[in-house]
Order: sequence, then structure tokens, then C-alpha cells
Amino acid sequence: MHVFITRRHSAFEKAILPHLDAAHNLARWLTRNDQDAEDVVQEACVRALKYFAGYHGGDAKAWLLAIVRNTCYTHLRRHRSHELTLPFDDELLNLVSDAYNPETLFLKGLETAEVHRALEALPAEFREVIVLREMEGLSYKEIAEVTEIPVGTVMSRLARARRRLQTCLSDSHEKGIHHEL
Amino acid sequence: MNCRETLPMLSGYMDGELDLVNRLEIERHIEVCPECAHHVRNGRDVQAVLHSARLYYRAPSGLEGRVLTAVRTAERAQQPRSRALLRPASGIAALAALLSLLWMAFAQVARANREAAVTQQVTCSHVRSLMANHLLDISVSDARTLTPWFNGKLDYAPPIVEVTRQGYPIEGARLDYLIDRRVAALVYRHEGHVINLFTWPAAGGDSQDLRQESRSGYRVCRWTMGAMTYCAVSDLSAQELMLFAETIKTHTVPLEYENCK
Repeated sequence: MHVFITRRHSAFEKAILPHLDAAHNLARWLTRNDQDAEDVVQEACVRALKYFAGYHGGDAKAWLLAIVRNTCYTHLRRHRSHELTLPFDDELLNLVSDAYNPETLFLKGLETAEVHRALEALPAEFREVIVLREMEGLSYKEIAEVTEIPVGTVMSRLARARRRLQTCLSDSHEKGIHHEL
Repeated sequence: MNCRETLPMLSGYMDGELDLVNRLEIERHIEVCPECAHHVRNGRDVQAVLHSARLYYRAPSGLEGRVLTAVRTAERAQQPRSRALLRPASGIAALAALLSLLWMAFAQVARANREAAVTQQVTCSHVRSLMANHLLDISVSDARTLTPWFNGKLDYAPPIVEVTRQGYPIEGARLDYLIDRRVAALVYRHEGHVINLFTWPAAGGDSQDLRQESRSGYRVCRWTMGAMTYCAVSDLSAQELMLFAETIKTHTVPLEYENCK
């Protein structure tokens, strides 16, 4: 019996364990809390085990991250529903952030803490595409799979997320400069 | 391409997610449009900042163990009863047993079907042969004439068993078509009753036991011997047909012996 369980788990373990860091990183950025992130990863892996019979090979990372993401949102709805805003509207945010900003950035000297704060301040829908693209290096197709939005939306959301981040970072940079002066 | 068309694609351009045609269009536009070029530069700056900052949250060291414990507990809770059945050795054995049982049942059914088809066809052939002028293609009563007559008409040499002295004179022979092949039919007569004896090369091994069936008032007796299947059909009683079959069997010259002659 033990032989069997070990063997069956090892197939599952082989599929998920290499992506535990990615799972934790996404969960941590979405929940913005260490303890919640660990709880979410654990719950997501148990969920993944249930769905494992329906998983027929393919991209295990995107598959697991999709489950982690869903578990995150369930967790946030359950424990911190006030943080989740109304259904996300890409077009509405478009009006605010698509304006041309002629300012040239000098971001190189930014502290990690500032970047961290700016990213945490982004709406979750922007934050997740940034995390999946810039930290996990997923393709648009994989991001679309994880976040359940069309590839075209992935592209425009990433564009807006970057512009927002840029605005936010230049603001904090300026403040920092003023502070120094 | 103008700025309106370019802007939504800039991130796709930066991430190398555009096809060749769009990529070239954007490259051409950026060369002449400082605003869009600026967007790309800013985007790359943001990318560089994100990559240089230490933002990645690796899984803490205890998380893997925690996950494995939770997953194994969930697995045990999920299937408390079926585990014994799913043990690999017994599982494979059970599967093998099931498969072989299925195979045996399938083979049994297939054989029964084949035999039923043969019984039906030989009975039909027997009945047809009794209708006017269908009984004999050649009317001779000795093996010496019959053996060459079959030559070239069949792809095998049917054994011709002479049992005239035992009370079963040969009346002649006929070619017939049964179970998708040409077969030899020897016609014997016994006290006014016609017996058709069909012979064809056996598909399987020997089964010298006589198997009797009846169909539409006729009796069919079958056996296999020396790689040949024999099938006798008549309106004789079960006992009389059995006796005929036994007589044929005991007088059949083994093939090996015949070849030595």
C-alpha cells in the first residue's frame, strides 16, 4: 500500500514541487501577507491533487498557478472581502493612465522597498500580470491560461500595469528627491 | 501605423510576443514617433527596475514539508476503502484475471457463434441437396475415382472413407460452399436415408469427441481428426448418426499413413 501511495504521489509531487516557489511568489503578491500566502499554497496544492486526475500533462506551472490564483481570490473574498473592488474594468482604467507622460524616468537608483511598495499598491489584476510576466517569465498565452482572460487583454493589461507602475515610481522618486533636498 | 494602433501593442513588442509583420510595423513607427519611442523606453526602465529589485518571494524552507503532509493526509482521507484494491500487485493481478476472463468468455461466444453458423449452413446444404438433382455432381462409389475428381476443384484433398461393408455405401460426391470456402460433400446412404459428410481443413486443433446437435429435424454430428473437420448431416436418429460417425472415424486412414503408401 505504501509503495503505491508513494508512487502515485511522486507523479503528483513531480508535477507540483518544481513550481512551489512560483506558487508561493504569486500567492504572496496577491495576498500581501506571509502567513496567508503559505496557507493559500497549501490549500491550492490539496485542490490540485483533486484535479490531478484531469490533468493530462502539458504546462504544469501554468496549471498550478491557475489553481493558486483562484485559491487566492477565494481566500481574499473569505477573509478580506473589503479589499476586493467591483469587477475589474480595463476600459475604465484606460482613461486615467493612457495619457502621454513626457517625463523621462531615472529609476535606476530606486530602492527595492520603493518598487515593492509601488507594486503592492497596484490593483490585484495589474499586479498578477506583472508578477506572472516579469518574475515568472510566462508567455502571454500562459498568462491568459492562468488568469482566464484573452491574450489581447493580457497585452493591454500589461501595458497599463507598466504605465501605472512607472507613474507611481516616478512620483515616489520625486518625493524622495524633494525629501533629500 | 499611427500611435492609436501602436500604443496597445507596445507591451507585446517589448515582450517579443508580436508576429514578424507587426513587429516590423512598430519598429518603423518608433523610428519616426518620439512619443511611442518614449513609451518603449519607459516600459523597459520599469522592466529593468522590476528585474533588479529583490521582489521574488521564494517558498520558505518549511513549506514543502507542510504541503506534502497536507497532500498525503488529503489523499488518505479521499480514498479510505479502495486503497487495498488499488495496491499495485493485486491491482495488476485483478486486471489480468479480469482480462483473461473476458477473453475466455469472448472466445467462447465467438466459437459458439461459429459453430452455430456451421450447423445452420450444413443443414441448409443438406436440405438443398435433397431437392431434385442437387445431391450429386459425380455418381461413383469408390475412392479411386473420387480422389482425382476433387483434384483442382478444392485447395485440399478430402479424405474419402469407404465403409460400404459396414452398411454405408457411397453414392457420389458434390462440391459445396460453406463458411466462406469450397468444401467436399460425400454422399452416403444408409437404409434409404441420405447422409451428407462434409470435410474441410480444421481451423483449430483436434477435438475427436463427437458433438451432436439438431436443427430443423436434422441431426448434425461433428468431429475433428487429422487436421480435418468432419460434419455429418442426416435425418437418421441420434444413435444411428453417432454409429455412422464412429464407423467413419475408425476407418479414416491417418494422413501420415496415406502419404507413405
